[in-house]
Amino acid sequence: MVGLAYDFLANPLGAVRLAFEKAVASSPPDADPAAAFRGNDWGAVDLFRDFLFEQGGLSQVPILDASTRRWVQPNTLVRFRGMVQDMLGNELYVGAYKDGSNWRTNKFTDMAPSSMPPAFETQLWERHLFYCVPVPGQNSWAMEPSPSPGVRNMSSSTSQHGVKRGRNTEDDMDLNVSYNWDEASSNTKKQKEDESTCQSSSSSEDLANHGGDLELKNGDSSCLSCLVKIYDMPESHLKLNDVFEFIGIYTFDPELAGHEDNSDDVMYDLFEDPMAHLPPSKVPHLHCLICRKLVIQDFLPNSPVIEPLPNMIRKIRESLLLHLSAVLGNDEVAAQYLLLHLLSRIRAQVDVITVGKLSLNLTGFTRESASIFCCQLTNAVEELLPFTHVIPLTIEYLNNATLQPRKDNETGRLVAGVLQLAQGTHLTIDETRMQNGTLTSNGVENARLLKHLLEWQKVEYDFEYYKLEMAADVQLLIISEGKSNILPADLVLPFCPKSVASVNATGEELQAWRWYLATMRSLQHSSEPETSQILQDEMVAAMQEDRSLGCAGLTRWLTMAELMSASFGEKCLTLEHWQMIKELERLRKERLQ
Amino acid sequence: MAPPLPRTAADVPPSFTPSSSRRRLRRREAVTPSTPMSADDSFPPSSDAGDDFDPADPEDADSTPVFVWGTNISVQDVNAAILRFLRHFRGPRETGRGDGLMEEGKYMRAVHRIMELEGGESLDVDAHDVFDYDPDLYGKMVRYPLEVLAIFDIVLMDLVARIDPLFEKHIQTRIFNLKSSVCMRNLNPSDIEKMVSVKGMIIRCSSVIPEVKEAIFRCLVCGHYSEPILVDRGRINEPPRCGRQECLAMNSMTLVHNRCRFADKQIVKLQETPDEIPEGGTPHTVSILMHDKLVDSGKPGDRVEVTGIYRAMSVRVGPTQRVVKSIFKTYIDCLHLKKTDKSRLHIDDLMDVDNSSNSRTIEDDTPDYQDKVGKLKELSKLPDIYDRLTWSLAPNIWELDDVKRGLLCQLFGGNALKLVSGASFRGDINILLVGDPGTSKSQLLQYIHKLSPRGIYTSGRGSSAVGLTAYVSKDPETGETVLESGALVLSDRGVCCIDEFDKMSDNARSMLHEVMEQQTVSIAKAGIIASLNARTSVLACANPSESRYNPRLSVIDNIHLPPTLLSRFDLIYLILDKADEQTDRRLAKHIVSLHFKNPETVVQDVLDLPTLVAYISYARKHIHPRISDEAAEELTRQYVEMRKRGNAPGSRKKVITATARQIESLIRLSEALARMRFSEWVEVKDVAEAFRLLEVALQQSATDHSTGTIDMDLIMTGISASERTRRENLVAATRNLVMERLQLGGPSTRIIELLEELRKQSSIEVHLNDLRNALATLMSERVVSLHGDSVKRI
Repeated sequence: MVGLAYDFLANPLGAVRLAFEKAVASSPPDADPAAAFRGNDWGAVDLFRDFLFEQGGLSQVPILDASTRRWVQPNTLVRFRGMVQDMLGNELYVGAYKDGSNWRTNKFTDMAPSSMPPAFETQLWERHLFYCVPVPGQNSWAMEPSPSPGVRNMSSSTSQHGVKRGRNTEDDMDLNVSYNWDEASSNTKKQKEDESTCQSSSSSEDLANHGGDLELKNGDSSCLSCLVKIYDMPESHLKLNDVFEFIGIYTFDPELAGHEDNSDDVMYDLFEDPMAHLPPSKVPHLHCLICRKLVIQDFLPNSPVIEPLPNMIRKIRESLLLHLSAVLGNDEVAAQYLLLHLLSRIRAQVDVITVGKLSLNLTGFTRESASIFCCQLTNAVEELLPFTHVIPLTIEYLNNATLQPRKDNETGRLVAGVLQLAQGTHLTIDETRMQNGTLTSNGVENARLLKHLLEWQKVEYDFEYYKLEMAADVQLLIISEGKSNILPADLVLPFCPKSVASVNATGEELQAWRWYLATMRSLQHSSEPETSQILQDEMVAAMQEDRSLGCAGLTRWLTMAELMSASFGEKCLTLEHWQMIKELERLRKERLQ
Repeated sequence: MAPPLPRTAADVPPSFTPSSSRRRLRRREAVTPSTPMSADDSFPPSSDAGDDFDPADPEDADSTPVFVWGTNISVQDVNAAILRFLRHFRGPRETGRGDGLMEEGKYMRAVHRIMELEGGESLDVDAHDVFDYDPDLYGKMVRYPLEVLAIFDIVLMDLVARIDPLFEKHIQTRIFNLKSSVCMRNLNPSDIEKMVSVKGMIIRCSSVIPEVKEAIFRCLVCGHYSEPILVDRGRINEPPRCGRQECLAMNSMTLVHNRCRFADKQIVKLQETPDEIPEGGTPHTVSILMHDKLVDSGKPGDRVEVTGIYRAMSVRVGPTQRVVKSIFKTYIDCLHLKKTDKSRLHIDDLMDVDNSSNSRTIEDDTPDYQDKVGKLKELSKLPDIYDRLTWSLAPNIWELDDVKRGLLCQLFGGNALKLVSGASFRGDINILLVGDPGTSKSQLLQYIHKLSPRGIYTSGRGSSAVGLTAYVSKDPETGETVLESGALVLSDRGVCCIDEFDKMSDNARSMLHEVMEQQTVSIAKAGIIASLNARTSVLACANPSESRYNPRLSVIDNIHLPPTLLSRFDLIYLILDKADEQTDRRLAKHIVSLHFKNPETVVQDVLDLPTLVAYISYARKHIHPRISDEAAEELTRQYVEMRKRGNAPGSRKKVITATARQIESLIRLSEALARMRFSEWVEVKDVAEAFRLLEVALQQSATDHSTGTIDMDLIMTGISASERTRRENLVAATRNLVMERLQLGGPSTRIIELLEELRKQSSIEVHLNDLRNALATLMSERVVSLHGDSVKRI
């Protein structure tokens, strides 16, 4: 490419339009250029891809959140990370129109130039709308700091709003590898982490105390939802509750605000559509150029480059176990179980059997131990996993909370419930404060939803005239005094703390653990025929020994054994892991008696 | 800009249109060619029919063809094609008959009917008919609906005017039943201005909006009323000056509201039905614009099929600005709305038996439905349908084939009977599963619960049968929390699954007596006793009294539930977990394959869940088998035999004896079995199978009737049919061997020797345990005696 005639960051639309005109000019004269480009790209996205990933432009693209929104200019390139909370269908727009004798395009923008040519000189194109919110329960350490405006040539008046963070822009930002950050930034990170730990601990205490409000714990710092418009892509590419990163053009038009409300056009009011509630004056719109699905690893801000060597993994595993048992008052068995629980994820769903889930119910909490350990435990989980939630299960909570996502057909929007969670979210349910009491119908419904999620890993969404089940992958940890019969977990383990230890973890350790959990969790399991034969023999022997084990018990053991092997970073299950599980289960059984 | 009005030309009586003069000309054209046509019925409807025809008509030859703007569609051609269609289309049934009396086509008769009744203002035209008669016209109609429908209406008006020039009313054409319907989420820009048909569910209806069609103005100066002014694309052109020559006052005209003509309009939101939503998606919605008669023809919650024109409307930034955003809003201009009954093979209807009488609606005729039913009927004719259904039920729950058969019977159900005298016999089958822990009882329960969504799944530990409130209670000692909820009332017309039935409080359990026989629940509150319907099948599972089955105790002692309650269960399954290595091994293999997705898992011919549900719901709704005479005889005979067995001395207290209730159960079971085959008659084999199920359930074959205990080695549940035949073969082989080798009363042989002999003989592997079992069977037949390891023939 010879010389840039446009600035990708500050004027991305220029790039889009110039590329369009070039493409029109180079297309054969007899073809209808506008029709040819309907539903496909004319090379503009490739230009951006080249700029972002080949020339390292990605690091200069600011992340759109509440803090950066103050200085990010409309019609510039931004990044946004969020969960697809609602799908608003498609939207038709004038994609191309004839301006005199030239075709021009309106792709990647909301506003048309003041005059539109008559209908036969326009082309209607289609784009899909998604309403995206920050991932529910995202912990503050998992936020990616945005490059400060200082890095870019923004006007000085806007740059002072931005938070200055020393960042080296030369960082190689490859999409497929986890992001690397230099020393300087990791120092600030650490500070930030410390802050956030305090913050989140206090907030979770608040949650436990008040029991109601389950706002995003990251506060307003990034509570910015965004209407994303996706082009040239089947809608099925994005699924509800998927976590995506969108890179696109930000449009926001506060000037339109005044006009929307006093519309006297009856028709206009009657086509009450979700868009009316998401005017560009209130909700930023993002015209997506490039998007990609994120996995948990993408949320590790500065993951250490750890060679996945077996002894290295072993070391991290040991230190994490130590940490977990410290959190759990030196209860090593509970720490082992907790580790397996944190590594669990749904692997398959066959009829009534959900393979891979491992919900854990820690029992034996008294009022005193709950006050110490619950908090420690939830904090520890928050520090380790990017998306976590705490539900304080009380009668009032069950009766008042809206757990079920519900479609509001008046506004055409899906109203998020607490249980609308991204895949891989960790949910701690604190039942220690539950008392006797009467449930309302809402409470019964909520209890049913939670139980359904626990058993089937599915959440029912209410669409008023019918209900739809959406698959979920949520790790459930239940903390209770006695065995919870409202939420019967896969594993019930009486919790026996020995001492109260203060828990300290350095930033590096935390990073290593986070990396470890995210990586080991996503390991693919496989098996060799010999092992599966040995396993079958083992299972038969176990059945002969204990008839009460049953199908459910064996499934659980196998799941645990697989998680155990994953915790060592091994893809294949060996007999050794099976034996470890048997030993663990023996210890658990002892406690249950 | 206001919305463009749909079909403006068509909505307006011809005399008011500016082009009325031209239309009159067209009317002449349209009418004339029809005269020779009616004489010649065999005129071939083809795509170029119009072209061939036009030159033949002297009048059309010199008039220049008028084309629809931007297309090569000639107005005259379409005109002629439509007229041909209306005059000559005959339904497939009519064409077979001679042309004698049935002179008129289907739609001519419809037109006459409308004119006679003076009521209907629209002519419903089946698009399939159009396609059958003239595919070209159909294609034009779908691609250019606005133009073609306008012509359609004009042709219709002409037709009517020819029959009765005084007929004033305007008849609209409503097209329905397009060849293909679009999925709502697949509507895209290329469908704009095309005729589409979408299915969905109405979720919102706006209030009715009166819309001005013709405006009448009055001069404020002289009081002169203007001619009615037509609304042109949502705009009323107010006359700038008075129309009276004497007055001509400027800006004096004012709108007279009560002399304007209004039409009704309504906006309806349609949402996708669950079956059209892909995994991980949310339902799409589309706005539907309804006019005149269509207003209020559907209400929220209805499932409808809408035929209409997909249109886009540009969005203005503000009412005062002429600036138009580049975004378009889309809606469907509704032409026809058909209510489709709730998709009848839907899961909701599974237990809905009652309204079978009034449910014979139009939907029975739709090819789609017929198609589905046809497939189900085909399935029902398979010789192994009973086995297939069994395999399809919870395929991931291991073994327990006979239990599954019983559960199938429960799902299909017997015939509920209500005599004139008021006595009623329930058709619901109640099942109790008693079994050792870890025998997947709970999973079976959950599966059934999943299959019948109106049912309730509850744990006996926390269910009060009647309570309508739910309560969380916490055990003061253990701190265990339990959710107590009233279950039975909520599961009317479903299956009420009660887990941990033995843990249910006696009080709650006693309520079940009423539920299970009378199918009502009585609730006493504040001195008023209310009786609520609870037409539910109960599926309960319980652990034996000592939490594991104790072979030394009798069956009754093991189940340990009051006999009054027990007799209300049609089937009581004893699921005993016998330490059997073979079964364990298969289970282990199954679990491992679940985890590692081994391809070697056996795929049997199973019905998928939706088909299974559809099959059951169809059977419950449409099949009402009666008992044939032979079957009735067999029933009596077997029942008498069963009673005899129960009368063995001393057994009364130890085994579950046959009661009169059991013959009812057997009838229900046989009916359910006949239903599974979609058979209208209960046959002898159904009765035999019903008896077998009853026997197998209680392990009768293994029960020693004198003591009431079960011989654990003879248990048959938990053993698949193939395994059973294998064992039978082994018994036979052993018997032969014993007969050959051993002399009557001769010396004894060691088991090991027999085993080796057997292994030599048969190709299948024989385990020592199997042989022992076989010998035990032979021992009970008094063929051999077994002392330790030595076998002796007696």
